[in-house]
Order: sequence, then C-alpha cells, then structure tokens
Amino acid sequence: MTEFIAKPGVKNLKHEGEKLITTHCSYCGMQCGMHIRVSEKTGKIKGVEPRYDWPVTLGKLCPKGVTAYQQIDHPDRIKRPLIKKKGRFVESSWEEALSLIEKKFTELQDKHGKDSLSVFGGVSMTNEKCYLVGKYARVALGTRFLDYNGRFCMSSAAGGFMKTFGMDRGSTLPWTELEHSDCFLIAGSNTAECHPTSIQMFWKARDKGAKMIVVDPRETPTARIADVHLDLLPGTDSALANGLLHLLIKEDFVDKEYVENRCNNFEELKASVEPFTPEYTSQLTGVDKNKIIKAARIYGSSPRSVVMFARGVEQQSKGVDNVTLYTSLALLRGQIGKFASGVATFTGQGNGQGGREHGQKSDLLPGYRKITDPEAVKYISGVWGIDPEEMPKAGVSAFEMFDEIHKGTIRAMHVVCSNPAVSAPDAEYVWEAFKKLDFLVVNDFFLSETAEFADVVLPTTTWAEDEGTTTNLEGRVIRIRKSIEPLHESKTDWQIFKEIAARLGKGKHFDYSSPREIFEEFRLATKGGKADYSGITYERIDKEDGVFWPCPSEDHPGTPTVFKETFATPNGKANLPAVSWQEPDETPSEEFPIRLTTGRVVFHYLSGNQTRRIDFLMEQCPVPFAEMHPELASRYNMQDGEKIRVTTPRSTMELEVRLTKATRNDIIFVPYHWGKELAVNKLTNAALDPTSRMPEFKVCAARIEKLEQKAGH
Amino acid sequence: MNKIMYLEFERCIGCRACQAACRECGDHDAKERNYVEHVDFMESRQTFPMMCMQCKDPACARVCPANAIQITEEGVVLSASEEKCIGCRNCTFGCPFGIPKFDFEQNKMYKCDMCYDRSKHDIAPMCASVCPSDAIRFIDFDEMQSLRRRRTQMNLVEGKKPTEQDKWKYVPEFFGVYSD
Ligand code: SF4
Ligand code: SF4
Repeated sequence: MTEFIAKPGVKNLKHEGEKLITTHCSYCGMQCGMHIRVSEKTGKIKGVEPRYDWPVTLGKLCPKGVTAYQQIDHPDRIKRPLIKKKGRFVESSWEEALSLIEKKFTELQDKHGKDSLSVFGGVSMTNEKCYLVGKYARVALGTRFLDYNGRFCMSSAAGGFMKTFGMDRGSTLPWTELEHSDCFLIAGSNTAECHPTSIQMFWKARDKGAKMIVVDPRETPTARIADVHLDLLPGTDSALANGLLHLLIKEDFVDKEYVENRCNNFEELKASVEPFTPEYTSQLTGVDKNKIIKAARIYGSSPRSVVMFARGVEQQSKGVDNVTLYTSLALLRGQIGKFASGVATFTGQGNGQGGREHGQKSDLLPGYRKITDPEAVKYISGVWGIDPEEMPKAGVSAFEMFDEIHKGTIRAMHVVCSNPAVSAPDAEYVWEAFKKLDFLVVNDFFLSETAEFADVVLPTTTWAEDEGTTTNLEGRVIRIRKSIEPLHESKTDWQIFKEIAARLGKGKHFDYSSPREIFEEFRLATKGGKADYSGITYERIDKEDGVFWPCPSEDHPGTPTVFKETFATPNGKANLPAVSWQEPDETPSEEFPIRLTTGRVVFHYLSGNQTRRIDFLMEQCPVPFAEMHPELASRYNMQDGEKIRVTTPRSTMELEVRLTKATRNDIIFVPYHWGKELAVNKLTNAALDPTSRMPEFKVCAARIEKLEQKAGH
Repeated sequence: MNKIMYLEFERCIGCRACQAACRECGDHDAKERNYVEHVDFMESRQTFPMMCMQCKDPACARVCPANAIQITEEGVVLSASEEKCIGCRNCTFGCPFGIPKFDFEQNKMYKCDMCYDRSKHDIAPMCASVCPSDAIRFIDFDEMQSLRRRRTQMNLVEGKKPTEQDKWKYVPEFFGVYSD
C-alpha cells in the first residue's frame, strides 16, 4: 500500500530521514488533507506537511489542523487501562480491566435485563469504527439503548433533509464547485472559525463577483464581509426563513417549472408564509426590514446559489423546521441537483456524515436503514449472522438516555469517542446521571471529563494509529492512514469491541483482524441502503481523490451531485414544509432578561478534550468568556475584562467580559469547549426538537450580574 | 526564486493558522515569527497578518553591529546567526515594521526567514501554505502585478473608499513582499 500520495509536479518538503504519510485532519468535517511527518528510523511523529494537491482544501489548514499531530505522542495520553479503586484511578492490565467489564456487564444484564446496558457513541472516528459501535451494542451487548453525539451536532440537519429529500447527504453538491456559485446564503455558521478552510472557496467566488448573505446574531468574520448581514435574534430562524420565502413568492423569484415538477406541497407552503411580511418578520427577528428585502432580492435574482447552514439553525428546539425552511429557499429557486448550486450543512465532526449513516443512531441500521423496517432488520441480521428476532428494537436519543439513567432503566454505559460531560446541555443533570450509574466504561486517549466519572477507562489510539475511511462534509468517502503503531498499551476501538464481544460469547460475529475486513463487511451492510457504499474500495479512494456515496457498484462513478433527476421520497418529489411561528422554548423574562447563545472558537474542537491539551491553542484561548456589546455592558456598568456572573434557570457561572460592537446589543455569547466550572453547558436548555431530539443549545434566557467588589481587589 | 509573499490583509479571518504553522518550520525552534492582530476588536473582528517585508536594504541588518543578519543570494533576510548575535536588540528598534522578536532567555533575536529551507526550493513557506483564507500567498511576481491591477479596478467599480468615519473597517488591502 502506498503511504504517500502526491500528484506529478507537486513539491513537498521531505526532511532527511523522514517519510510522509498521506491522510486527513482528525478534527472537523472539512477533513483537510495533510501529510504526517514520521522519522524513518525511530518511527516517531515529527510534524505536519501541507497536502497541496488534495482538491478540496489545497494544503490549507486551520490552527487545529496544523497542531493535530501533537495529540499523538502527547504526555497526557492514557497509557494503560485505568480502574477506579476507592475513588482513585489505578493502572491495570487489559486482562484485569476486561474481566471486570465482562463480570459487571453480565451481572447487570442477568439481574436487570439486556437493556440495562447502553452505548454512547461518537462520530470523530472512522466509518469502520462507527459501524462497529452499532453492531457492538446490538449484537455483543444485545441492548436497545444505543445513541451517539451526533444528536448534539448533526441530527437536525439529518432530520430536515430526510423530511424534505427523503435522503440525508449533508451537501447536495461537491464543494469544489462552490467557487462557481453566484450567491451564498449562510445561516447560523461561524464559517471562518468553525470550517476555516472553506473560506478560500467563498473568496474565490467573491473575486468573480459572488454575493454573500450571512445570517448570524454576531458580526462574525464572514458576516463582516457579507453583502447583507441579517443579524437576527437567536432562535428566530424559522421566522426569518419564512420571511425570505414570502418575498421569493411575492416578488416572483420562484422557478415555477421546477416547483411544479419536483416539489410537493407548494400551495401549503405559500399559504403558511403568507403572514410573514417584511414588517412582521422584522418584528419577530429584530432584523431591519430593508435588509430582509435586500437579501431576498439578491438571493432571488442569483442564477446559481447555495444555501448553507450549521449548528446555529440546527441546535434549536425547532432545528428540523429551520432546516426544512432554509432548504426550501433553494427548492423554490430550482437550485438543487444542478451545477454550483444547492444546499449544504457544515458537518461539525470529522466523520459526522459517515458516522450518522451506519447504525449508531437509536433507530437506524447501516446504510441509513430504519430499524422499524422488518426488511432492513432481516437484511442486516443476515449480514451480522444473527436471527432477526434477536435484533433489539429502537432505543432513545442521546439526551434521553440520561433520563433513562435517572429513572434507573439504564444501569451501565459504555462511552466511545465522546465527552458528553462537556457537550451535553444542562450539564449538571448529566453529571448526576453519570454518578448514578452502577458501571461506566469510557474509551478515550485523554482523560476527558466524562472519563473522570468512569469505573474503567480503556486507552484507545488516536486517529493516526489506525487505518480506515471517513466521509467528509461533501459526502466524499476518504482514507485515513496509519502513521505509527499504537502507542503505549492503547488499542483501537474496534479491537476493544472485539475483545469484549468475545468475552460475552459473541466472538464469532467480531472476528476481524484489520479495518479493511470491517470495511468489506460494512460495504455489504450498506448495499441497497440509502447510503450505499458498496462500490467504494480503499484503492478507488486513492485513485479518484475520494468517492461520493451513493456508489452502488464498483463500476459506478459515485455521486458528487445528488438529486439531479429525482428526490429519494416515495413520489420522487421534494416535500416543502408549512411551518408556523413558534418562540424558542425559553424566552426572556423579568428574572432572565437576556438571550444567551453558545458556540465555538477557532482554537478548539468540540468538548476541548483534545485541543485544550495543545500548547499553541491554549495560549490563544485558555478560558471561556462572555462576549457582549458595550451598550449592554454599560447598562450593567460592566467593563471589558471584568468577571461577571451569568445565571439561567439551571445554573450559574462566572465569566470574564469581552466587549465588541460586532454583535447584537441584546445577547451574550459564550463558547462551550470547557468542562466543570467552566462549562457553559451547565446553563444551556435541554429542550429537544420533536423530530431530531436535538437540544436547544443556541438560545436560552439568562441574567447577568456584576460581582461584588472584594476589599483590596 | 522569483516568488512573492503576497498579503491581502482584509481577507484575514484571524485564525492564526499562520502562526501555528510558523512554529512548524524546521528551522524555527517552535517559535512563531509572524504576527496576527486585531485592527480594533471593540469595533470589528477584522484582523491582519504581519510578517517580515524582506526589505531590499533591510534596516535590521544595517543597524546590526555584529553583522549577524545575513541576506541570501535570493534576497531573503535571514534570522540572526546564533554565533554572531550579541543580543543588543538594535534590530528590533531599527525595523520600521516591528518584526524582529527577541528571546530574552537566550539573549538573541529571531525573525521570519521566509521558511528558507522551503522557499529556496520554491516550496511555499508554512504560513502561506496553510492560510485558509489566502490572506498570505506565495505567488509569482507577474501574478501579483495582475492581482494589484484587478484590485484597483474592483475598488473603482464598487466605489469602496474608506472615510474618516468608517476607516476602522478597512485595512490596507495587500502588500507584496518580494526578493529578486
Ligand atoms: S479542524 Fe477542520 S478546518 Fe481545521 S484543519 Fe482540521 S479539518 Fe481542516
Ligand atoms: S492564517 Fe491567514 S487568515 Fe489565519 S490569521 Fe493567518 S493570515 Fe489571517
């Protein structure tokens, strides 16, 4: 297998005595291409070299990507399994740790039934591993309680796309086409900080005259250069999207032929957006009505446009509605399935796309099959070699698993590749749940806040110590290469599943000796499903710069642009929504008069368990802060840099004030990458979207107070 | 090497990938030599990168009494030679752009050398390689000239001109740094 891939004529710096291993970043859905520098003699990791010829990102990296390699041989790595004895972690052998897990899991299931165990997965890992998480839960443990952290990340986008298109591929077009678009409508995405390497594409398009409309309460670096910045109140996206749809219809920007031939429900949509005049929309969203009109006209008159969104619109109790409404803008303009136009979500986690398709979700089986569909159960049972009767039923969503723990139904949990102690909303409730568990196992390579609650911590490898594939935010399946052998006594997650399965008498279903073998089975499992990977091979990925799913056979070219002719709904037409206005779950009151919104900074990834250990990143952003407009601060007599108290109905915390006029004057923003007393998720609201079960991270009601001055300070 | 370091300040998104990458250059001792600053964070999130201008007749080298700052045949102004630098800090005061940094522990200056181990082979310096926003580019002289002409034309077409009231929204749009 070639480890280093470069196109003819591309120059890279190869240091003496080093080799380059071609792979992708460990972090976000951009999955930027990179080479990792490895010493030939010692096999040690030396650094990073840009991958100039990866067509999506062209060598560009954000600061997380540049420093990603520093996770690998990091002093904080967990070296051996840890068992908690008398409240303290003690290093142990794998034998001891696995025996304990076997004993506890068996005892609990004997006493409380199969479903007393649960698995909490994640999608910052390869397709091979994500696929195996579902199989591990359902076949090895036989529990129905399985879900994953995509519920805090991508599930509203998934739900919205399923509803509208009948299929959930995060982007309907390949991003290499973006530079040819005429207009971008970007909602709820702090693109410059969260997906920085996509900025080059927007700049290229802008150089050719493309327009940009940015929807965000804060004047983010992208909003700053937008032609129109729609600075809405957090939680009012559905009103804004309805207002834009109203104007597209009223000002005759609708592609009637497209809507007639390819969409259901147009009349219902038309009736439901009727009340959303610019005046009414402006009143609900707090955006100047002239800006709304200007945005609708720019978007409506652009020949090729792309609607893009991210967590800002998705992490709401109306996340799915928001997604269907923004998506409808593209449908009314007849943009989907065509060149350089369409709709896309900025996938957060590295494998947020692939990881959500293959059965880590409580109600899904591999290939985006429904567990409620008997045919799907039959097919997957066949692939897995089990009796369809044995297939557990659908479980509950990620956050609802914590309810089940509080209720006493779930007694033990195995957390894989996730840190819900930081990333789940209403964190104190989640921490209580962890304390209540009889037994908690966590796989991780750094001791996360979640791992600190564990009874057993199993040391896993980083992304650079294993082979596999991921699916980037375009839907392109790509290859992650192994740069070095597993460090210390760490094992890959798939090896861990295999060994636990063997101890529980299910070894024959997990008889793999390499990720490639898992991939072969996984291809078969996806065959015929909506997310069909069966035609994709490791070799094709190398040769073709990745392959886009669906790809149902080895001679199928893959599908860079989806929905060219039809949608994946029963009648082949896209479903337009009809959504009326609804306030966020929690609105400002006398006691909590301000809207609090949360988000990210460029220097950290998700719960920060990785990036908070990287020197460069911590030097740039060591602690969270409360960002607000000086006008708001002035009302409370607060100064830049001062410590204040922020309180919501759930909890309270102290934060430093950071002032800027580049935000609305009636909100505060806090980034969420920290744990314990620095976790803003202590304050956030766990109200769930009815369809996607996504919590409302993006808006809740808060109160801010000046801290009392202490004498001498 | 007939390449230019081309800066388009207004494109900068403040991600500091260029600084993280600067530390990664083999000869850089894990210390960055470039700068990213907010124009005025209170007013806007606009940032801009700053790095060595690789001057034709560099003030830093001229004021160095120890002759520690060498200029390569391609015109790259190198970091001070470790043996020669006497730590007088004249260069840090002499540079009109405030570029040379000073390591007080080791008592010596260090500065951007355009990743000479890369650029001498025509491979882009680390900052220009990774900058996700193309705010820093490593391009041919001719390409720079055409970009500059196009930019002027665009500004005339769109009538973008800062005024006394909103000049903080603007930063100089580009700066070509080049050697022979
Ligand atoms: S975190 Fe995302 S944008 Fe940054 S380098 Fe990694 S994949 Fe690229
Ligand atoms: S890498 Fe580019 S965009 Fe990021 S701070 Fe540096 S110059 Fe600015």
